[in-house]
Amino acid sequence: MEYILHLIILICFYTMLAQSLNLNAGFTGLISLAQAGFYGIGAYTSAILSVQYGFPFWFNLPVAMLLSFGVSYVVSLIALRTVDDYFIVCTLGIQVIIFSIMNNWMQVTKGPLGIPGIPAISFFGFEVSSKISFLLLSLALMLLVWLVLNNLVNSGFGKSLKAICEDEIYTQSIGKNVKQLKVLSFTISAVLASIPGALYAHYITYIDPTSFTVNESIFILSIVIIGGMGNLKGSFYASVFMILLPEVLRFVGISNSDSANYRQIIYGAILVLVMMRGNKNLFSFLQVQNPKVK
Amino acid sequence: MDTPKLLVVMQLILNILHNHMIIVLLALSISMNYYLLKNFNIAQAVVITFGAYLSYLLLYSFHQPLYIAIIIAIILSVSIGLLSELFIFKQMRNRKLPSFAFLVASIGLYTILQNCISLYFGDDTKSLNIGEIAVGHQIFGAYITTVQIFTIAVSAFVFIGMYLLYNYTTLGKQIRAVSENAEFATIYGISSNKIILIVTAVSSALAAIAGILYAYDTNLTPTMGFNLLLYGIVAMIIGGVGSFRGLLLGSLLLASAQNLVAYYLDTKWMDAATYIILIAFLLWKPLGFSGKKLKKVEI
Repeated sequence: MEYILHLIILICFYTMLAQSLNLNAGFTGLISLAQAGFYGIGAYTSAILSVQYGFPFWFNLPVAMLLSFGVSYVVSLIALRTVDDYFIVCTLGIQVIIFSIMNNWMQVTKGPLGIPGIPAISFFGFEVSSKISFLLLSLALMLLVWLVLNNLVNSGFGKSLKAICEDEIYTQSIGKNVKQLKVLSFTISAVLASIPGALYAHYITYIDPTSFTVNESIFILSIVIIGGMGNLKGSFYASVFMILLPEVLRFVGISNSDSANYRQIIYGAILVLVMMRGNKNLFSFLQVQNPKVK
Repeated sequence: MDTPKLLVVMQLILNILHNHMIIVLLALSISMNYYLLKNFNIAQAVVITFGAYLSYLLLYSFHQPLYIAIIIAIILSVSIGLLSELFIFKQMRNRKLPSFAFLVASIGLYTILQNCISLYFGDDTKSLNIGEIAVGHQIFGAYITTVQIFTIAVSAFVFIGMYLLYNYTTLGKQIRAVSENAEFATIYGISSNKIILIVTAVSSALAAIAGILYAYDTNLTPTMGFNLLLYGIVAMIIGGVGSFRGLLLGSLLLASAQNLVAYYLDTKWMDAATYIILIAFLLWKPLGFSGKKLKKVEI
């Protein structure tokens, strides 16, 4: 039972990560490989503030979001000067830089040793230490993120983002500030990604840089692509699928040490197949008989 | 300047030269592909790794002599590049998909193949140099191993060969024609599919050679190709796409920066330094040294 709760909590985390990336990748068309970096910024900020300075979670979370905003704003000014695959390579570089700061800045992040002993979340005396209460908290935050993103996407702002994805120059010609909209979309997505980061730090109580590598970014991106670009509900289904996949593999009888490899092979294959056909997501890929309607 | 300092400088220069030549090979391999197809192929990282691991397999499991092992490893790596081109990227090109789709699909392909290597060989570090410990040759007091000299020679040879191929042969002219405008080249009777296959084969071969040479100098891990590929991509971007002189300069800058950072700060900051250079270039000189126009960067 505890384990099932653990899986559901992970699904909440990855739904938040994938949906926040989806705003950027699916709606604005800016595919970023730096999402795990912002996830890590959230986790590290919250961990350092609570372990070294003893601040409570409700204080750490806004600080983590603020820091993530600052970093992503600076990053967006650099990265958004490029487009298409140069943008992806650029965000990849940013991801590597954030990772090496986490891995090498010994004085602050303790490097590869990681930060142990992160206290449980407590709200005004009420401690969120049991799995079920943590699950409720992450569910609440996930629904909040979903609601915020859903409203954003359906607002005029979201429509402008979609317009940028369709035709950037045309959007500019009807008087939209494309640059500003892109910066906004990038920073919002980074700020939202730091929320599961802060939660993760307090949940696992120990963090080290290996949780926030390029591979993690690719994993988040593949959730977005499997669920469908520009499809928030799809990101949720896809994270359920991706989190439960190793469990299914365990039932098939693949040993634990190999299961990480098999899982990656499976999602690699899904990425190739979905992208190859130019399908919108895995679900539309499976309905081969329906011809693609544009 | 006193002697120890001179020694350090000499050693640094030799290390930079060696690194430079490996990065030149990688950048050459990537830019051949990029110049022609206008999209990145991350799956080439796996060709690099495959080259190294296959020569390891042939040397130590099948006990083949060195030159046969290397030749077979290169041929097999090239066939992986060709198969992925024929069965995946060609199909995608026919569907006229956007360039990010190629990049994401190649990331997927990379993930599949890299994990296959992990499953078969294990995640631990392996070494191609079992038993023999190279003493190294002394040049002005600084040390360089035979493998490193060989690497420098091979890379220089390949680089000059490619330069001659691109600039002075009919095939090179055809490749450049297809790169500039594939449709127009087809009208003149140049089969763009054939050219793409040739370039894929050559660039895979270069990637495999770079992987083998690198593995001989250091060691093998299943993820070695990814970092090497990224160095190549960075060198290509800062050098400018489609310019041989730019590639040489870009790789030199990258190799010097990496070695100097490793010497004065710490080896762990090498990757960060690489990307800081990339970002600085994208900010101030987005077209690279060569200044050739490219649609990907708009300022």
